[in-house]
Amino acid sequence: MAADVTTSTPAKTSSEAVRGLPRGLPAFRWVVRMRRRALLGWGLAVGVVSAIYVSFYPTMGDAGELESLIEGMPDGLVSALGYDTIGTAAGYLESTVYGLLAPILMLVFALGFAARVLAGEEEDGSLELETAAPISRVRSLSERYLALVVGIVWLGVVTGAVTLGLVPALAMEVGTAELAATTLGLTVFTTALASVTFAVGAATGRRVVALATGAGLAVAGYIANALASLMDDGAWLERLSPFAWYLGNEPLRNGLSLGGMAALLGLTIVCLVAAVVTFDRRDLGV
Amino acid sequence: MSDVVIRTAGLIKDYATGSRRIRALDGLDLEIQRGEVFGFLGPNGAGKSTMIRILLDQLRPTDGHAEVLGSDPREGGPALRARLGYLPGELALTGRATAGDLLRHLSRLRGGTGAEAIPALAERLSLDLDRPIRGLSKGNKQKVGVLQAFMHGPELLILDEPTSGLDPLLQHEFLTMVREAQAGGATVFMSSHVLSEVELIAERVAIVRAGRIVDLDDVAALRHHAGQRVELHFAEAVPADAFSGLEGISNVEVADHRMTCLLRGEPDPLLKAAARYHVTRWSAEDRELEDLFLDHYRTPLGGESEQEASPDGR
Repeated sequence: MAADVTTSTPAKTSSEAVRGLPRGLPAFRWVVRMRRRALLGWGLAVGVVSAIYVSFYPTMGDAGELESLIEGMPDGLVSALGYDTIGTAAGYLESTVYGLLAPILMLVFALGFAARVLAGEEEDGSLELETAAPISRVRSLSERYLALVVGIVWLGVVTGAVTLGLVPALAMEVGTAELAATTLGLTVFTTALASVTFAVGAATGRRVVALATGAGLAVAGYIANALASLMDDGAWLERLSPFAWYLGNEPLRNGLSLGGMAALLGLTIVCLVAAVVTFDRRDLGV
Repeated sequence: MSDVVIRTAGLIKDYATGSRRIRALDGLDLEIQRGEVFGFLGPNGAGKSTMIRILLDQLRPTDGHAEVLGSDPREGGPALRARLGYLPGELALTGRATAGDLLRHLSRLRGGTGAEAIPALAERLSLDLDRPIRGLSKGNKQKVGVLQAFMHGPELLILDEPTSGLDPLLQHEFLTMVREAQAGGATVFMSSHVLSEVELIAERVAIVRAGRIVDLDDVAALRHHAGQRVELHFAEAVPADAFSGLEGISNVEVADHRMTCLLRGEPDPLLKAAARYHVTRWSAEDRELEDLFLDHYRTPLGGESEQEASPDGR
């Protein structure tokens, strides 16, 4: 081997430099492969739950049960839960599938994945052979982040496919464009909170810290959004909530809020940059 | 091209744990030549893994300088690591994937190099490639670790406690692999906390304690320093002064029919002295490395200033 090096011509040296370096997306492929059962399982769960809740609408709506249920509830609670428009198809979907169930399922999946895919694997030592391999830290992080985004998009696609399939079949009055846009909004929203989790994990190498930060932000955002709707002057509080950035414009009726989407994308980009910078600088696996 | 494969100068690494700072490396200087098998010895917590993980750019030094194959580990980046093979000290292998899947994946992280060597190496190490990793015993996981370090024929092998968990037969196979790698021009840097693991194969050995090299020598000299613990049993009671003062003999203790001492160098004077009595039983054991460390605390064996450092040591 030493002899090889001394006899190399310059041209050979440059091809030698490429030899031994990875091509394609090996880390991404490996993560997806290792998580494929989880991805399928979560896809199934999100699909089934969305389908069940969408299918409930005709029975509840027709019988007027929803409206009588709502009438029995205090006004504050109704608006906090976003049930004040639940009698319409868009309102129903916004307060069930898109406002609660899909976000919760997707967040549980995405925050767990985001915390584990980098910080968790660093913490339990599974990342060590990858960081010792000829792959840069930034590339390793990027491929793993890509796996996270692909997982979230997959769940978004499942949600969208179920609602886009069932809503016309059940003759619910919600526009296809609005459904697609809201599904996109849900995906962007989930990605933003997952990015916060991922970045905290990249910066600290601590899975639990990352998960707690992401989950804490999600819960705080939800509460802020709910409280804001109870307050006479809650607009300022609503502006702070990622939930409001996603749902504030009532996207199934009015389309996505551009400002809200910009805020979610901005948060995502800031988190990704912070993740790259901090992960590249610090000690790994300590 | 320089013939120094690993060079560290004044390497310092501090860890912050809570409000305390712990110094894992305290000015470590080392030079390893191309083609040698170098043993890096020290008890757990002496800083061996810290040093190794700096060479791989997993840790960044607090101060000082490290150089691997002519480049700083951080500057060298992926292109440098493509030329290294690394076996971690604590190998964490989990998941449903089979050993073969993981090894092929690790090869893909190296652009496919080494993939063709996997079946033959697995055969040599008697590793079943079709078994899921999480069901493997510690020894089998270690085989996976050894295999992935060697498979791409790296110029420099950095092996952290390589033989831990391997049974004696496989340790032998491992040593053969190290010799073959060396014959192929590779340099091997291996750490251990047991001298006997590296003395068969390493030409030079450094002993690290509390983040510093306290002794660096070829193996024969080190073995001489370590000495042997000799125990003789006699048919009759023997006087202690029959043995004290002999060349190469120290720590003589006599209790009735039994004499123990520490032997460094040739056993001849001791045997001649003992032959005057009726010897009923004898044993001579190479001392453990731990004993050598104790020597480093107590006596300035290498003529170093270790003695001054020792009172607050332990």
